[in-house]
Amino acid sequence: MLDVALASAGAQVVLATSSDENFPPENIIDGSGSTFWLTTGLFPQEFIISFTNLMNINNIRLLTTNVEGLSIERSVQNEPVNFEPLTEKVLEFVEGELQSEDIQVDATTAHHLRFVIKSGFDHFISIHRVNVNGSAVH
Amino acid sequence: MVVLRAKCIVAGDSTVGKSALVQTFHSDGSHFPKSYTMTEGVEVCVKSVVIPDTSDTVELVIFDSAGKEIFYDHVKKNWDHPSVVCLVFDLSSEPSFHSCSKWLERIRNQKPEIVLPGVLIGNKLDLEQRRTVTPKFPMEFASSHGLEYFECSAKEQQNVEAPFYYLAQEFYKMYQTKAETITSMAM
Repeated sequence: MLDVALASAGAQVVLATSSDENFPPENIIDGSGSTFWLTTGLFPQEFIISFTNLMNINNIRLLTTNVEGLSIERSVQNEPVNFEPLTEKVLEFVEGELQSEDIQVDATTAHHLRFVIKSGFDHFISIHRVNVNGSAVH
Repeated sequence: MVVLRAKCIVAGDSTVGKSALVQTFHSDGSHFPKSYTMTEGVEVCVKSVVIPDTSDTVELVIFDSAGKEIFYDHVKKNWDHPSVVCLVFDLSSEPSFHSCSKWLERIRNQKPEIVLPGVLIGNKLDLEQRRTVTPKFPMEFASSHGLEYFECSAKEQQNVEAPFYYLAQEFYKMYQTKAETITSMAM
């Protein structure tokens, strides 16, 4: 199992609802926790990560700030369409450091993952890393 | 270059001129509604404000909310995730000024832990003869609640833009600060 949500592994952020050139969505998949995507106001916010092909996945790890309500959806299509719910979370507020959230998803498959941030503990939330433990479906 | 988006809740008693203020601001002064139309529920419009000396913009998504109590249950459903607050009263109506604390509390209760920049606006500055609220009390109320106080006349297009520019600036400053805080936290 490898982190399949890395630009170096061919993953792409194909949609993001906020864009500040100083904090682009590509920062989510660059492998570094010190760079981040920053939302620019309003909720909900969302982004979609597309993998190179259909993946078996079992664990998602998020490094964030100020995220409260979060839902994750998956698509198994070649194009990022027909998303279905995967899991919903309400994160805890953490003061002065990043939120680190481990989400077990019982052995499932996905070609694309959509992350919807429904609410936050601040006007602006940041996503530093999304780790998706997975391997290509053969 | 970045475009920020802020949800601006405009609240206050009915007939203080919230819609007149919003429409005058939104139309750059070309539209002042001469006859009264009661707002039922919430009317939404968007106005971009360029932040001086930058290429950055704050889009104010303005939620002009009915002041009549009978619509409140419906109005508050549209108030989730507020970004900035705009309280309006009528300088010729003391009760409308006293209601501002109620409106502020209602908006802040949406998300008590979040800092909401806000303005308090005394409208109908043109009705000099009928003015009953002196600047003293609104100024005190504003400073004790972390609001900035403005007086304006939507009818005469006097000082209408200032409070909205202030809100856009404050929201922009919060974003800058947040970006710096998170950057240093993540190092």
